[in-house]
Amino acid sequence: MNPVTDATTRAASAPFEFKSAAHLLFIEREQASTLVEFLEALRTCPEGSIFQHTFRTLEEHHFIKEGFSNDFAHWAYTDLNLVGLGERLASVDVREFTSLSSLRSRLIHTVEDFMGQNPNVHERRAENPFYFCSSKTVVLPTQLTASDLAEFIEGLKQVSVHSIHYHFIEARLRRHFESNDFSIWLERKLKLTRPASRLNHIDIYTSTLEGVRRKIVQILEDATD
Amino acid sequence: MKEAGRSVPTEPANHAQPAPSEAPQRRKPRISETPPLAPPPPNLADYEAIIGKSQLDELRFLASTLRGKTVKMVNSTALGGGVAEMLNRLVPLLGELEVKTGWEVITGGNDFFEVTKAFHNALHGGEYTLTQEARDVFMLHTEQNRQRMSFDEDFIVIHDPQPAGLVASRNRDSNRWVWRCHIDLSNPNSDVWNFLRPMVERYDSAIFSSPAFARRLAIPQALFYPCIDPLSEKNKELDERCIQEVCDNFGVDRSRPIVTQISRFDRLKDPVGVVRACKMAKKYVDFQLVLAGGSASDDPEGAVVLREVMEAADEDPDIIILDLPPWSALEINALQRASTIIIQKSLKEGFGLTVTEGLWKGKPTIASAVGGIPAQVIDKLTGVLVHSVEGCAYQIRYLLTHPDFGLQLGRNGREHVKENFLMTTNVRRWLLLLLRILSEA
Repeated sequence: MNPVTDATTRAASAPFEFKSAAHLLFIEREQASTLVEFLEALRTCPEGSIFQHTFRTLEEHHFIKEGFSNDFAHWAYTDLNLVGLGERLASVDVREFTSLSSLRSRLIHTVEDFMGQNPNVHERRAENPFYFCSSKTVVLPTQLTASDLAEFIEGLKQVSVHSIHYHFIEARLRRHFESNDFSIWLERKLKLTRPASRLNHIDIYTSTLEGVRRKIVQILEDATD
Repeated sequence: MKEAGRSVPTEPANHAQPAPSEAPQRRKPRISETPPLAPPPPNLADYEAIIGKSQLDELRFLASTLRGKTVKMVNSTALGGGVAEMLNRLVPLLGELEVKTGWEVITGGNDFFEVTKAFHNALHGGEYTLTQEARDVFMLHTEQNRQRMSFDEDFIVIHDPQPAGLVASRNRDSNRWVWRCHIDLSNPNSDVWNFLRPMVERYDSAIFSSPAFARRLAIPQALFYPCIDPLSEKNKELDERCIQEVCDNFGVDRSRPIVTQISRFDRLKDPVGVVRACKMAKKYVDFQLVLAGGSASDDPEGAVVLREVMEAADEDPDIIILDLPPWSALEINALQRASTIIIQKSLKEGFGLTVTEGLWKGKPTIASAVGGIPAQVIDKLTGVLVHSVEGCAYQIRYLLTHPDFGLQLGRNGREHVKENFLMTTNVRRWLLLLLRILSEA
């Protein structure tokens, strides 16, 4: 059997259904003008706010590949002028978290740690307050499904970047598993273990979402060579 | 002879002077003295070339879950102003998605609109004493409109404070009411706000244009950023010939860099600050400044500011000041597209849709960090934020001498608008909100 044909057209044990997500933004009660207020708001805000200002902001700014990681880091850097805190918050990688509560804990710990080391900045007033928002998600079907690798690659090329974000980045919160929908399907339904693993090494912080899409397609096309 | 550093009044097309032989001589530009006929509104399918099929399909799916539902939009004016402009696009698009949407305008006498104008200014923080008479006028006209109108639709959407009192007609079990507030309530006159607040809290949900504009309320508050229509006269793609024609008409030399601020002649837009910044920058780089806006003819303060700008320009032939009529959307579009850099050096701003327009045209944009501008201009990523005349001058110099950086800002800025500030994004927000309210009902 031709190995190229095999990898490309081998039927999956179950099809992949491409979905997408739309998000509605709400303004929450919490806002902060100092680090003390910020820490308190981080503790009390709804989980939808943690999601909005980390996972979702990546999607809203999917075309930027430099200098932007999450809204908390951006605010600490630009409005509080606390570069060190901004850097630490920016280094929080959403892919390490399979629940919003654990992500919230890490953010709180990062701010507490910084405040412990910098007691003189607790009451520094920000140039602009941080307004906590939250997002509510609606999952949307698409008409695209894939029964083999060739169809999967074609689907990846056609779906919106919102679909890429839903399957590749948000998925870990839904699955409570440090991976993504694409890798899980490739591994379980097509037995493509190596490319499935390679997808998890794509750096989402130094690529645009279109760049992420291109890298995924490239890895899968390489797998057919 | 060039009209250096002077306001260039517009002249009706049929009275235009013959074009001078050597372009680009500035002369009285040809512009219609009456508004042109509005072009037919675009269809949903026309947006596919901009947002792509997959995103259009997402809109259609969302709408399919609301099919058969009815919506009524209510505001206070059918013509003029951003809300009417937005509804003119939104209502047919929702209808095309088979979410049957109507639009009604409240009526009222001069006394009512004088009161609501005073409320508007007071809600923006102006001094105002709320009298019993003003309350009575507001409630009387609200009652008359309630008697005249019916509210049988599944969703009633009330825009801004003028018709807010119509919520007294709601029947809690039969339909859902949404209050869309387009104005900045961050610092309202407390008497007026306390008068309106009980009405607002009878709605199922409120919508604000920025978290900074919202109030703490007992009802959910959604965030809908203002948006632009990429297919409108002001934002649609233009061919090169049209851009050149407008520039020739206004005496703008396209062989040299063009720095433009589009805004009415209002001190809060700091046009004099822009002139000062340009004079500082021009010691190092060559460019023309275009200041284009309106309101000078029918606004006494606008005329005063225009004179101040002309004085500051001091006959500089590279400062082109254009006092345009309100129907100059196409000309503004062309000027923005011809520009090398767009400036919005406001001292105070609402959301700043002129910034959105500049970003959408892929132009590197220098803007003040006020109002809703930082939501659009992420410093050094989608544009450049400045806080002073000096900062503005430096950024003009920098961007004119680093075109690659400007190109990157322009590219990111356009994507930012495409993702967050287009009419189609707002259609999606509306569908999501109605779905959400329905699911909670």
